[in-house]
Formats: sequence, C-alpha cells, structure tokens
Amino acid sequence: MLKLFESEIQNIDSLSSEQIAVDVQSLSIQLNNKQVLTDISMRIPKHLTTALIGQSGCGKTTLLNSLNRMNELNAHYSYSGKVLMDGKDIYNKKENVARLRTRVGMVFQRPNPFPMSIYENVCFGLKIQGLNERRKLDDAVENALRSAALWGEVNDRLFDSALTLSGGQQQRLMIARALALEPEILLLDEPTSALDPLTTLHIEELINDLKKRCTIIIVTHNMQQAARVSDYAAFIHQGELVEFSDSDSLFTMPAKKQTEDYITGRYG
Amino acid sequence: MKRHIHLNTHISGKFNQELENLTNSVLTMGGEVEQQLVDAIRAVRENNAKLAEQIVLNETRINAMELQIDNECMRIIAKRNPTASDLRLIMTLSKVTADIEGMGDEIQRVVRLVTKDKLPPSDLIQSGVIMLAEKIVVMMRGAFDAFARQDERAAVSIYEQDNIIDTKHKELLKQTAREMQNNPEQISDWLEVLWAIRAIERIGDRCKNICQYVLYLTYGAEIQNHSMKKTIKKLLK
Repeated sequence: MLKLFESEIQNIDSLSSEQIAVDVQSLSIQLNNKQVLTDISMRIPKHLTTALIGQSGCGKTTLLNSLNRMNELNAHYSYSGKVLMDGKDIYNKKENVARLRTRVGMVFQRPNPFPMSIYENVCFGLKIQGLNERRKLDDAVENALRSAALWGEVNDRLFDSALTLSGGQQQRLMIARALALEPEILLLDEPTSALDPLTTLHIEELINDLKKRCTIIIVTHNMQQAARVSDYAAFIHQGELVEFSDSDSLFTMPAKKQTEDYITGRYG
Repeated sequence: MKRHIHLNTHISGKFNQELENLTNSVLTMGGEVEQQLVDAIRAVRENNAKLAEQIVLNETRINAMELQIDNECMRIIAKRNPTASDLRLIMTLSKVTADIEGMGDEIQRVVRLVTKDKLPPSDLIQSGVIMLAEKIVVMMRGAFDAFARQDERAAVSIYEQDNIIDTKHKELLKQTAREMQNNPEQISDWLEVLWAIRAIERIGDRCKNICQYVLYLTYGAEIQNHSMKKTIKKLLK
C-alpha cells in the first residue's frame, strides 16, 4: 500500500534500550514532607523532544529537576526509585554531580545571564572545567552561539554585556551557555513563557534543530507549544504519570480519559 | 480581498514541509483518480474486463489514500493549531480529498458496464458515454491544475465548463431514452447505462466543487457571502 506520510516516531514500547536517553524507574519524590511525585516510570527517547505537560503544581518541574539532581538543593528532600542514564543510576552515591550537570544541561523559565559579557557567559562553564586556551574557547563560543541561532546577531559585540540583549536573545544565550558544554540532554523549563509569540516560534524551531545534537526534555504550560515541539509527551497529574506516548497519538487520540479532559480544556 | 497561500514561509520548517507534503499527497490522489477515469474509458471502449478488474482493485488504494490524508489533516490541526490561510488550506484539502474519493466511487459505476457485462446495446450511446467521459477527463485535469496553482481564473473557466457537460448529459439521456423505447425488452440492461451516465455527470459536479474551493482558498469567507455567479462575474471582469 502506498504510504503518503512517513513518520520517524515509533511507539514508545517498541524502542530499544539504545534508543533511550533516560530510563526513570519507579521514581517517587517528597519535598518538604509532601509527596510530589509518585511511582513515575518512563523511558525518554534519545535525540527527540519529550514534553511534560500538566497543571501547575502537578510535579513536572520536580521531575525535570530530578534528571540532573537539582532537587537535592532542597534540604527537605527524599526520593526512592532510579534514574538510569546509559544503564547507570544517576543517584548512585559515587556519581559526580558536577559531571552529571555537564551531561544534562538546563535552561530556566526566565533568562538568567551572568552580569558579564556575552562571550564570558557562553564560556563560563568551560572555564570552570579548566579550559583556558583562547583559541579553543573562541571556537566553542562560536559553535554554541551558532547552534543557538544567535551568532549572526551578536558576533560583532561579543564583549558587550549580556544584559544588553533582548529577552529572546538572552534566552537563546542561555541555550548557547548550556550547549557550550555539549550536553547529552537539555532540560528546558518553560523556556518561552516570558517571550512574545514570534520569538517563541524561533526558539521552538531552534529546539527542533537541536534534537540532532542532544535529547530535549521540555516542561511547558502551553499545550499548543507541547503539541508543536514534542515528539513524545507525558501528562502528569497530582504527581502521577497518567499517560506517556508519542505526541501524535496523545494529541489526536489519547488513551486515557483524564488526558483527553485535560488537553481539551474540560478539566475540573 | 485576494490572498494567495504561500506554503513555505512559516518560521517552522517542519510545518512548511508538512503542508507541502499534504498538498502533494492530495494532488497525487487526484492524479490516481484521473488515471482511473482514463483507464475506465479504455475499458469501456475495448470491453476490457481485465483492465476493469484492475480499476476495481485500485479503488482500495484510493480509499486508503483518503484515510491517510484525513489522518494527516487531523494530526496537523491537533499539533500545529493552524489559523487563517493555513486553516483554510487544510479544510480545503480535506474537502477536496472527499470529492476525489467520491469521483473514484463514481468511476466504479462506469466500470460496472464492463464487469457486469452491461455495455450499451447501441454503439451510438456507447460512443456518447465515452465522449462525455473524455470531456470530464479534461475538466478534471483542469480543476486539479487550477487547484495546484491556486489559479482562480482557471477555476472559474472550468466551473463554467460544467454547463456544457450538463447540456451534453441531457442530450445523451434523451438519446438513451429513445433507444430504450425502441428496445423495451432490454430495459434492465439499460439501467446500468443510466447509472453510468449519471455517475459521469456527477464527476463533473465534483470538479465544480474543487473549483469552488480554489476560490474559497484565495478569497476566504467572502465567497460564502456572495453567490458563485456574482463572484464569477466579478472575476471575469
């Protein structure tokens, strides 16, 4: 039979372990004595975009933070379960957290450039890693800025303060800062919620391009954005994973009624 | 106000590609149905049962294409939330697909003349059926071309051609009625012929629909507020 439309997206269950970037196994998290996540198990595919959707306070940011152990910054934090990357549990006591956060980069809701030049912002992580060779730093900065689709706009003012950039440019600078460390996984926590619709579309297009380089996991309140950018999507409700599937299925024919109610605006 | 749709101008390259693939798929399906009609004419002319059977089998393929296009329209609407001209394009592609599928069904009625061995007992009527169908092939090709190029003038011109088809159809029906009166013992054989003639005329109506969609695409809701005749008059000025 003639196939008119090809799709690279496979059913989540048919993916082999080589195609999986993160394997979350029965993860439960308590913050400040409150159960935030309950028994989450999901296999996040490599070199694709996975969106986490759900109401405010449902635990999606906590889940995102658990992938580079950011939750540990909270003193009243406990967890059970495993988060495997390349078959190793990132919560293993021997795991080097600084190295983990190099492998798993993160961009937050609001751009938070350091009060220094554009150049220094991008190479900040590399310098901390001990890279001081000027030529290598120059190359890394250029590559990261090009990958973040910012090079053309800032290449003649690399030593201006990063604070002089517009909101959209600052957010792309944050992506460049994360990319300079060549992460395997990029976590995006509502990266466009402070941006205008057109800049948002540019960032979404950038996310689509970045998939070639790393796995993207994005938390977004904007359901339409989740539909546009994601290959796979997970719906989380009150700390539980309700549904996780390829987003073509989730947004056209969700398996669970709860997901259907949420994405069609019938919830509550 | 006239607005042409530019498929490749979105910020999202993937969206551009999806709309282009969708449009191309609809045109591919149109091409398949056009070929089905050309083959159907040949099958009737040559009383070629093998070719007729192939046309019947191909219909499954066309139905499957419709299903795939419908699913893709639904997927794009759900995932891209298209608006304005993009939304009009997708709605139009969905409607055009339904019309193309309908044309495929009508062609099956024509092919039944061969598969059921009910070719017109009169050569005059057989050549009338073939001539009418050949005119429809030209109309169909024109409608698909106008749609592909979003050429509203061509669409209006094809739309007007349907009047000629209607006249020819009526003439053919009258001739058939005369033949039926002359051979009343073969009435049951003639019924399939009447269905086939009707089916050919209906393919013309569906071509007319496609021409209307071309105008809807470029003029939007305005076309719904004017009668088609008024719009045509305006366009032909």
